[in-house]
Amino acid sequence: MVQFNLPQNSKIEIGKHYQDKTNSKNIKKVNIYRWDPSTGQNPRVDTFEVDMDNCGPKVLDILFKIKNEIDPSLTFRRSCAHGVCGSCAMNIDGVNTLACIKSHTDINGDLNVYPLPHLKVVKDLIGDLTTLYKQYESIKPWLETEQTGEEKTELQQSQRDREKLDGYYECILCACCSTSCPSYWWNGDKYLGPAVLLQAYRWIQDSRDGDKKERLKKVADELKLYRCHTIMNCTNSCPKGLNPAKAIGSIKKMLATS
Amino acid sequence: MQDKNNPLSPHLQIYKWQISSLLSITHRIVGVINILAITIICFFSLSLLLGAESYEFIHNLFKSFLGKFIVVSICWTFSFHILNELRHLLWDLGYGFDLKVARVTGVLALIGSFILTILFYLVGKNIF
Repeated sequence: MVQFNLPQNSKIEIGKHYQDKTNSKNIKKVNIYRWDPSTGQNPRVDTFEVDMDNCGPKVLDILFKIKNEIDPSLTFRRSCAHGVCGSCAMNIDGVNTLACIKSHTDINGDLNVYPLPHLKVVKDLIGDLTTLYKQYESIKPWLETEQTGEEKTELQQSQRDREKLDGYYECILCACCSTSCPSYWWNGDKYLGPAVLLQAYRWIQDSRDGDKKERLKKVADELKLYRCHTIMNCTNSCPKGLNPAKAIGSIKKMLATS
Repeated sequence: MQDKNNPLSPHLQIYKWQISSLLSITHRIVGVINILAITIICFFSLSLLLGAESYEFIHNLFKSFLGKFIVVSICWTFSFHILNELRHLLWDLGYGFDLKVARVTGVLALIGSFILTILFYLVGKNIF
């Protein structure tokens, strides 16, 4: 359902202000969304003054600096720190991206960091992606073949067929695209969203897969697929430079022409 | 998630508008306005059957500043909707998804809609 306002328990309050203690002249104000499940209070936005002279170039470096030097309770997901795992996806300066590859020098003025939009918050910058993972499972992200495992030869793929997966297999499922999509905000329980649809297309396109028709049939649904109105927030936000809008467009075209 | 008291993270409140998303919502709003406009135009045409008096009424309405403003606005809403719909047709054919292309066509649709509006206005003024 379309609901523009945040529910009562999600209204954001003004949080604490952590003044700089290093007497640095190069200060950046960093506003970070905080919510602690143990307090029962509404979420708030804390402001940290961070000494930029002694900080790495990425937004994740700032978060680490705050966690190490100012407030150790700051909670966020991260793992690889170079844009491969997709753990540190969050809303930075109004657009979803990975904190580990987003340079904070690009951002003028205060830096605003929020969790991925329209998710149930687990704590601070961590959103709950259970629905998305369930939807991902529903498109069967594995090869469906009639092979029994007894065969002597492997399933081969020509170079040309392999190239058809370029721009789709690189997806790391960070959920930046899905949570940037207004359609997914309003209909996230039914609409599959750009990330899952891109994955669906990746398996439909795979020449080794034997279930193409079934896959197409399953995704051809007013709510699952056609809630995409080509708003293109997904493509605008993808930190890997992929194009979910194009993948969804390709599925629509396949359905229209098959 | 078991605990339903968890807050919802902010969405519209914090998400930065992109050209693409702005044009998309404009397309929708303008579409609704167009439907209303067409309905009103139909009723206007029908009311002409009532005779000279109702013609006079509509004539005076269009001559007023508000009337002119509405007519020019509707020229723009129609122009924009038509041009942006062309983008949608292109997308349905499988073209124009590239981020740069989508941005350029979006800006072109916006600029084009204003040019078309001016053209409509000038044609209406019998300048050509």
